[in-house]
Amino acid sequence: MLDLATDPLGPVISAGDIARAVLDGRVSARAVAEATLARIAQLNPMLNAFTDITADRALREADAIDSALARGTVVGPLAGVPVAVKNLVDVAGLPTRAGSRINRDLPPATTDATLLRRLNRAGAVLVGALNMGEFAYDFTGENAHDGPCRNPHDPGRMSGGSSSGCGVATAAGLAPISLGSDTNGSLRVPASLCGVFSLKPTYGRLSRAGTFPFVDSLDHLGPFARSARDLALAYDAMQGPDPADHACAGDAPEPALPDLARGIAGLRIGCPTGWIARQAGGEARAASDRAAAGMADAGAVLRDIDLDGAEAGRAAAYLITNSESAAFHLDRLRSRSNEFDPDTRDRFLAGALLPAAWIARAQRVRRWWLDQALAVFRDVDLLVLPATPCPAPVLGARTLTLDGTDLPLRPSLGILAQPFSCIGLPVVTVPVFAPGSLPLGVQIVAPPWCEARALQAASVLCDAGLAAAHPPPPTPTVPSPGNGG
Amino acid sequence: MTAAPSDPDHQIDAASAMVGLPIAAAWRPGVWQFLVVARQMTDILEAVPLADDDLALAPVFRLPRPTGNDADA
Repeated sequence: MLDLATDPLGPVISAGDIARAVLDGRVSARAVAEATLARIAQLNPMLNAFTDITADRALREADAIDSALARGTVVGPLAGVPVAVKNLVDVAGLPTRAGSRINRDLPPATTDATLLRRLNRAGAVLVGALNMGEFAYDFTGENAHDGPCRNPHDPGRMSGGSSSGCGVATAAGLAPISLGSDTNGSLRVPASLCGVFSLKPTYGRLSRAGTFPFVDSLDHLGPFARSARDLALAYDAMQGPDPADHACAGDAPEPALPDLARGIAGLRIGCPTGWIARQAGGEARAASDRAAAGMADAGAVLRDIDLDGAEAGRAAAYLITNSESAAFHLDRLRSRSNEFDPDTRDRFLAGALLPAAWIARAQRVRRWWLDQALAVFRDVDLLVLPATPCPAPVLGARTLTLDGTDLPLRPSLGILAQPFSCIGLPVVTVPVFAPGSLPLGVQIVAPPWCEARALQAASVLCDAGLAAAHPPPPTPTVPSPGNGG
Repeated sequence: MTAAPSDPDHQIDAASAMVGLPIAAAWRPGVWQFLVVARQMTDILEAVPLADDDLALAPVFRLPRPTGNDADA
């Protein structure tokens, strides 16, 4: 057995290494769970990543893994790996709060969501449910009910949202894999600001059954991890048809892990110029340029491309989101609007007042934008661009300056992510930043159903040392006064 | 093709009454701000040159297949 006194299963170990250690009998699943729960107890009071810690369940699941191994039973590839889920994912015994106060009145979920069941089936151990922006309408990680989820690289700064707790828990070593959702960028913005990896798969790839919706026609689920390999490991464990989700495509799993090291020699990489480049600050553009250069070093061919239809795609995403989510919450807005987070309430209210003609046109433009993007993918195999316009803003910030214009921060922090979830394209976000600096993420966008290709590119960047989830300071410091939250 | 500018105050008054969704005075500035953003997004969409057959609207209505019990009925 490993000597836990020296913490060899420390916060930055990969999920794959944990599983190997458990499967090889070098450490017990229970020891991994106990070490993780101890880290959560130490760090969560500062970071506020977890809203529910499922310690009893974690230890019970870990003991079951150890017992199965002792009996010689085959255990899955996530044996003993601690996972946590955004609190819009059903966890049996917990109300699915979806970041809201209102949902706490719901009865506890009676069963786990499909993807949580699949993670458990692969051997993962649930350690808790994670903080998020109310009803997922958020890019900041701030939440009026549960408090802000703090960035482990600087607790005075935003974690990004709405899967804020996922980004923080995985960055801080509290859950090597976490499960989040993305409607407009909620897997990618927290990954960028917290310095971890995420995969937003193709719309319809992973089941959303047993999760609280935000915008059904745009909602995706996907994993956060600390490496491309761990992303692939989690993604493969969750694939498969599910008739319980009407948008799930029903395709057989297409495992990404077996070909993860295939490389990207000869692939054509599109680097968007124009509108997309103008939405990114200098640090974000530099991170994207470093990632692209790393791909070129691995034999890929770079070319500048015009992707200016993205601006209209983003506008379509904004209006569809605003309208569809407001319609979904209309009864709650009528009867309990004073219980919403003020920062989401006003947006939901506005969304209920939009003319139908605006939304119908947004749907038509969405299809037009998909055609534009598919035409680009006849000339390139992947796109590389920044995930966020800038590193994490300070908590409480209200404006973001993009392309020389001051914009409201809440709807703008995901401006580079929205165009791609709007048309359901798969995106891997990789962290590209120097140790000790604020993280930034880069999106690797692939054609529909080509998640494996984006993961292969991410793996190349990991192997080259260009993409890495550098750990945050071991003990987050108390935020300085005036940093909000 | 750009639509005539809309007045967020008028939109709040008219649409909230139609929808049955009163907007409290304290919340009006926030709602107003987001309606301005929505209007800006609409202007971007109006500029897209759509053909009459650009019509694959995204929401999908997919009928469930009969279960075994249904098939026996």
